Amino acid sequence: MQSNISYSLFFEICLLLATTLPLMSFLFSLAIAEKYSWAVSITAPFLLLISALSSLVVFFSVLDEQPYQFAMAWMVVADQTFSAGVFVNVLAATMLLVVTVISFLVHLYSIGYMAGDAGFRKYFAMLGLFTFSMIAIVLANNLLIVFVGWELVGFSSYMLIGHWKEKPEAARAAKKAFVLNRIGDAGFLVGLMILWTHQGSFDISTLDAINGFSEWQTAASLCIFCGVTGKSAQFPLLTWLPDAMEGPTPVSALIHAATMVAAGVYLMIRIFPFFTPTALDVVSIVGIITSLIGALAALGQYDIKKILAYSTISQLGLMVTAIGSATPDAAFIHLFTHAFFKACLFLAAGSIIHSLHHAQHQFHTHFDVQDIRNLGGLRKKLPVVFAVFLLAGSSLAGLPFFSGFLSKDAILTGLVTWAGPDTSWKWLVVMGAFAVTFLTMVYTFRMIWIIFFGSEKKTSGVDLPESPVVMQVPLLILATASLWIIISWNPFINTRWINPALVHSWNVTILSVIWVLVALAVAYRTRNRASQLKIFLHAFYLDHLIEWNIKNVAMKFVGMASRIDKKLIDPFLHGTAYAQVLVAHVTGWFDRALVDGTVNGFTSFVRGVGSVTRSFQDGKIQLYIFWSIFTIIIFLIWTLL
Amino acid sequence: MFPIEHVLFLAALLFSLGLMIIIIKRNTIMILLGIELMLNASNLNLVAFNNLMPEKMDGQIFALFVIIVAVSEAAVGLAIVLQVYQYYQTSIPDSVSDLKE
Repeated sequence: MQSNISYSLFFEICLLLATTLPLMSFLFSLAIAEKYSWAVSITAPFLLLISALSSLVVFFSVLDEQPYQFAMAWMVVADQTFSAGVFVNVLAATMLLVVTVISFLVHLYSIGYMAGDAGFRKYFAMLGLFTFSMIAIVLANNLLIVFVGWELVGFSSYMLIGHWKEKPEAARAAKKAFVLNRIGDAGFLVGLMILWTHQGSFDISTLDAINGFSEWQTAASLCIFCGVTGKSAQFPLLTWLPDAMEGPTPVSALIHAATMVAAGVYLMIRIFPFFTPTALDVVSIVGIITSLIGALAALGQYDIKKILAYSTISQLGLMVTAIGSATPDAAFIHLFTHAFFKACLFLAAGSIIHSLHHAQHQFHTHFDVQDIRNLGGLRKKLPVVFAVFLLAGSSLAGLPFFSGFLSKDAILTGLVTWAGPDTSWKWLVVMGAFAVTFLTMVYTFRMIWIIFFGSEKKTSGVDLPESPVVMQVPLLILATASLWIIISWNPFINTRWINPALVHSWNVTILSVIWVLVALAVAYRTRNRASQLKIFLHAFYLDHLIEWNIKNVAMKFVGMASRIDKKLIDPFLHGTAYAQVLVAHVTGWFDRALVDGTVNGFTSFVRGVGSVTRSFQDGKIQLYIFWSIFTIIIFLIWTLL
Repeated sequence: MFPIEHVLFLAALLFSLGLMIIIIKRNTIMILLGIELMLNASNLNLVAFNNLMPEKMDGQIFALFVIIVAVSEAAVGLAIVLQVYQYYQTSIPDSVSDLKE
């Protein structure tokens, strides 16, 4: 065990609290009787509040300090020791803060949103488990623990997507998310094996200290990126995220917008020095493809949560592109701002859905509340949600004076610097990124316009109640966090607030301001022209492509494998079996004939000797006399001669 | 006097004949007869060897003893044969096998 002296006991207690209280919440929610499930609505947010406050302490302690390290032997296999521990640098502390704060706000929000739900206890238990495993990913000092947390968040995500498991779509979506994540995780596992073979260590700090690049590093980092592709919904494994919207909306906000899907991006930032330039090129290309697909697909959606889901995919793609362009700091700033404004957007959408559901119950009407074509003119009926949506949406669209503007500016600056003055394929990536920011503006504007402006559609006859206070408070906090102030004092330049060393270029800043305003103008002009392209609605038929792949390519491959199995492997196995039976027969014969035969031979010899000897004494007196005389004669001859 | 060898040869012949009778004949009475023949062969020997030292009478006395013992033995043997015959209705020793097996 080792620990740093410069950190106080208070710090360590706070770290412990921040880590374990979500686990406590999980255990408590599981253990409590169904009768007292109302208690969960008090304990779970309370425990998370303490956890969030503790991580605030941790964050300010680590800021401008050496990273805190603690490790101990976990298990010994043969002569290899696997260690477990935490490695808290500024990055990890910031991420810890994001996770616990958003988790707390979502817990608070869920009290209102999930009130009266049958699976209330299970829901909060899974939220606690998720938060704990996410913290494990964030703080762990080696990739093995990260992998354990990685699987645990996947599991809790599965449970939460399928929370309303009576709905067949929800069950199907949960299964799909799980399976696609497994595909990615298989790659991750292979990456870990390559890493272990060459490096003999999973330690993140040693990983970051490797000098030079080699072939195996490219392979390992691409395999780890495969895991990231599954978890962070990158091309081509992105289709599970829109389906995951079948889960409760707060879950979408916490897991499928702010934290879990960002875990992949976070992991890449954490082990960034390990990635080789070749791997980074692949990463940037995959990132920009994902980003474009997400942005275009968001343009064609009508389901409010699906728009947000595709928007999340697009923003995650942008972060991955930023990592590919060797500016992980910019990617992290975007992750940070995105976590707040996207969680806010999701919770606001949840508020709309919640209010409409209640209204439907009251007025006995029925329509799909998530379809934006049924909404409209809600700004008067739901003013708080409207204000919040406007703030967070502006941040997502990247308007100046919002956090999204600053983080996107950082990414774009990084990309332009990376592409350099020469013309190369890298400029295609840069152009793609600009196109994504443009499209983001367009679809965000379209969404806000259709929901809140215009005339009321199906909602005209109903009275909408505002959401309860527990749901409004998190919304307001998160909306405030969408302002520029969260990352920088200056609304146009990233100052030293979170990350010190970022290149700033006024050219790019001015360009992106103009670009966003142009996009706003275009979006306003085309606000009523709904994009009818089916290809956008179906997200470029990626789902169909995967399905077709499974049906044709994979099944053919399986058929071929089965034929090979029957034609080649089965005869071989049968031959081996026959040979074995033959050998067994030979051995059996040998055993019977030689081994048993020797023993039997001895016995029959002895029996023969016995019967010969016995034949001298068969009770005939005269024979006795004969034999005695015979013997005496022999004896006499023997002695006399 | 004829030489002693002739007497010894006769005795040996008688002894061999007696032994052959004992081994070959099935009837108990014939076996007893064979025994008598062998005893007489030995008597002949005793008398013949006594002739080498005529001043001593050892051989002749011993021959007398043997005749007496042979008489007693024949009496006892015949008695046993009679008893066996009464019980088993046979005088062939091989048929008397109650104690076998």
